[in-house]
Amino acid sequence: MTRPAGDPGGQSGGGTLADRQAALVEALTAGRPVPHGFDGFRFEAARVALLRKRAGEVTRQWPMLAVGFGERWNREFAEWAAARPTQGSLRDGWDLARDLAKRDGLPLVAAAELAGREAAWHYDGRSAPRSRRSPALRTAAGATALQIAGRVWLLRGP
Amino acid sequence: MVAAGAAVAVAEDQPSRRPRAALASGVGIGWRPEIAGFVEGLPGLRFVEVVAESVPAHGELPGGLRTLLDRGVTVIPHGVRLSLGGAEPVDATRVEHFAAVADRLGAPLVSEHIAFVRAGGVEAGHLLPLPRTREAVDAVVANVRLLQQSLTVPIALEPIAALFDWPDDELTEAQFLTEILDRSGAHLLLDVANVYANARNRGTDPLDLLDDLPLDRVAYVHVAGGAEHQGLYHDTHTDAVPEPVLELVAALCARHRPPALMLERDGDYPPAPDLAAELDEIAKASGYPAVT
Repeated sequence: MTRPAGDPGGQSGGGTLADRQAALVEALTAGRPVPHGFDGFRFEAARVALLRKRAGEVTRQWPMLAVGFGERWNREFAEWAAARPTQGSLRDGWDLARDLAKRDGLPLVAAAELAGREAAWHYDGRSAPRSRRSPALRTAAGATALQIAGRVWLLRGP
Repeated sequence: MVAAGAAVAVAEDQPSRRPRAALASGVGIGWRPEIAGFVEGLPGLRFVEVVAESVPAHGELPGGLRTLLDRGVTVIPHGVRLSLGGAEPVDATRVEHFAAVADRLGAPLVSEHIAFVRAGGVEAGHLLPLPRTREAVDAVVANVRLLQQSLTVPIALEPIAALFDWPDDELTEAQFLTEILDRSGAHLLLDVANVYANARNRGTDPLDLLDDLPLDRVAYVHVAGGAEHQGLYHDTHTDAVPEPVLELVAALCARHRPPALMLERDGDYPPAPDLAAELDEIAKASGYPAVT
């Protein structure tokens, strides 16, 4: 994801509080350099802890996605999320699952989870998912799910 | 199993204000859906705290929470996303939700953090520290005052645990916090685990901060666990409460015992007996009756 660079005021230690807060958030979430004057080791520790916390929150929303990666989950998520500020754990997990499915990297055990969500909700990748009003049939990584009146059936496993 | 679209209960607009509950007292716990059954089974429980953003302003309350309210347990909404320390004015929609939740829970008090969580339209996903400057004090106080216009009850502000500090602090932590409390009229939500974590990571004495804070302004206290990684202590809320944090609880209570203390646990939940033992330890360290 591309975002405008943080205000250079944050790099020099000057600038308004708003500029400096924006530069700090950019550095934490979008892979920008640590603002001038901050302890690099501690800042990095905070960045890594934040990614671990985000991975845990995504696990709660997308349990099968996390299960599919097993012990590699935290690292897999951190690599994907390092330069992507959170859109909330539901959307973060959804975006990652779609990315993985596109490059044939979605774990098989997570296919039904994604197909079920795709059938139940309309998600444009940019704003909050909305539940579908009409029936939908969706396939993800070989799993097919059917939703009618809010109920979802898995028709075919991966 | 395939996740289905959750059935959303549609409630009519109903009068959603409960009678004001009693102030928090004794030993409590942070209510989370994952441990709702455990919390409901605590016979002596008088108060819980709930993440304000997880409570709907209208419609069905989470079942476990409704049971506690019906039993007369005080429920305090604890905001985590208002970003009161942001340089930008606090978001009106978030304020409206926060105030509505406080009303429907009949909360005698609400709480939030001295921190920011977003800037320039980007969410950090975490509570971030402020520079201890007069400009930051002004920003917090302005936002707390905006929030107070929508609230009918007092607010308590919680200083956070931070792994890093800003390079240009003008004030000590106690000066920074006291100035914010004095100018906003807010109470203090003191997190003893945060005090411990910050002191340990900065190489300072946590008792010095206790000595310098206005302890008579403490509305209630958080207690939580953490763990060390690469020489830094992380306030994880997913580990057991370490002994030094309990010792700090006792040291705090020896100076000025707060009216209420609570355990914060946010994941990796241990078996119920372990969680109960942690509550008992907090009761023992503070001299309040056990709630288990």
